[in-house]
Amino acid sequence: MNAQHLEETLSKAVGQPVTVTRAAPLAGGASMETWSLDATVNGAPERLVLRRDMAVNMYAAALTRPQEFHLLEVAHRAGVKVPLPRWCYAGDAATRPFFVMNRVDGESVGRKVVKLPELAAARAAMAREMGRQLARIHAVTLTDDLAFLPRPRAGERPFEEALRSTRAIADGLAHDNPVWAYALRWLATHAPDEMGRAPVLVHGDFRVGNLLVAPSGLAAVIDWEFAHVGDLHEDLAWPTLRDWRFERDALTVGGVGTVDDLLAGYAEAGGAPVDRRAMAWWEIMGNLRWSVMCHAQAERHLSGKDRSVEFASLGRKSAEIEWEIVDLIERHAQEHTL
Amino acid sequence: MKAIPSLRPTAEELLDAAREHIVTKVIPTIADPQLRFQTLVAAHVLGVVGRELSAGSAPFKHVQSEVRALPGAPADDGALCAAIAAGAFDDEAAGAPLRQHLRMRTELALMAWNPLFVMRVKGER
Repeated sequence: MNAQHLEETLSKAVGQPVTVTRAAPLAGGASMETWSLDATVNGAPERLVLRRDMAVNMYAAALTRPQEFHLLEVAHRAGVKVPLPRWCYAGDAATRPFFVMNRVDGESVGRKVVKLPELAAARAAMAREMGRQLARIHAVTLTDDLAFLPRPRAGERPFEEALRSTRAIADGLAHDNPVWAYALRWLATHAPDEMGRAPVLVHGDFRVGNLLVAPSGLAAVIDWEFAHVGDLHEDLAWPTLRDWRFERDALTVGGVGTVDDLLAGYAEAGGAPVDRRAMAWWEIMGNLRWSVMCHAQAERHLSGKDRSVEFASLGRKSAEIEWEIVDLIERHAQEHTL
Repeated sequence: MKAIPSLRPTAEELLDAAREHIVTKVIPTIADPQLRFQTLVAAHVLGVVGRELSAGSAPFKHVQSEVRALPGAPADDGALCAAIAAGAFDDEAAGAPLRQHLRMRTELALMAWNPLFVMRVKGER
C-alpha cells in the first residue's frame, strides 16, 4: 500500500481529501495490518495509526474493524487508557475495512518493554497500573450496542465456554497431544465453585506486548480484537503466563511486576473481589489456549493457506507452554497432597 | 540419517553451514524489523533440526516405550489420550507418574527446540 493509495483510502473514511506526508508499517499482529501515518486533515497536522484486516483472517471469534472501533469509543468514554478513535470505514469492493486512531507514543514490543533502561520507572509502576486499567475495563456496562461481543451460550458459564471452544480447536487439529488431554481433563474436574459470577467485558489479550509503554508509564491498552464477555479472572491471569514474561520469569506479571501489585491496583480502582484459585485455573486455561493457538498457527502454514516459517516454528515452540502446563498442575498437586 | 557414512559434509554440518551463513552474512544486512525477526526464526529452526538429527531416533523410541509403561499400559498416544479423557489418571497414584512422563517428553522436545528454556526454568528452583 503506497502513500497515494493510503490518501485515497483515508479520504473515504474522513469524507474529504487527506494528505499523507509520511507512512510507515508498524510490526503488527499476525492478522492485522497497521500503519503509522503523518497526515494533514482539514488543514491540521495529525499523528495517526491506521489498522485494517489482512486479506486472510484467521480468527473467526475476532471482532471486525467497525466493532473494534466502537469498543474503543466505549472504552475511551469509560476512562480506559486507549488511543482516541477517529474514523472508521466499513469497507467496499476495493478497500478492506479499517479504522484510524490517534498515535500514542510508547513501546509495545514485549522483549523491549522488559529491558529498555528508559522504561525502568514505568516498569516499577506497571503491574499496579495494569490492575487499575483492568478494573475500568471490567466496569464497562454491557449495553445493547455491545451485543456483537462474543459471549457464552445461554446457560453456559464463561469457564465452560472457554473449555468448549478450546477443545473444539484442539479437536480440529486432529493430533493426539497427551498434555492437552490432561489439561482439558484437569480443568474440567477442578473448576472453582465461585466461577459462575456475573460476566464482564473482557479485553481478551491484555498483556505486555499489547500495551504501549512510555517512560512516564503505561500509555495505552491496544489490540482489542479478542474482546468478549467473560470472567474477570481470565483477564487477570492472562498477563501472568510465563510466555508473556519475556524471560523475566521471576516477575510473574509480564516480566515487570508481581501479582500482589496487579491485584492492589485492581482493588484500588474498584475491581470486584478476586479469587486466587480462579486465577490459578485461568492461568492453566490460558496456557492451554495459547499452546493450542500455536499449533493452529503452524497449521496455517502446513495447510498452505499462509506459508510462514514463523507460524511453522510456533508448533514447536508449544513445547515451552506444554512444559509450563504440566509444571502448574504438578505444583497444584503438591500443594494439595501435603 | 547415518545410512551413508561416506557423505561429507554430513547433514548436520550442512545445516550448520546454512544457519551460520544466515546469522553472520544475511541478518546483519536486513533493515526491516519484521523480515529480520522472521529470518532469525528461520535460522533458529535450522538449529532445531540440527539438534534433532544429532539426537537420532532414541528419544522417540524412549517416549514410545515409556507410554506403554504407564498405568493401564496404553498402546500409543491415541490410547493414552483416550484413557486420560476417561478419567484413568484422575487419582494421584496414576496422575503423578503421568505428569512425570509428560514432563520428560516436553523436555525431550525442548532439548531440540530451546535447550536454554529448560536450564532457565529449572534454575528458578
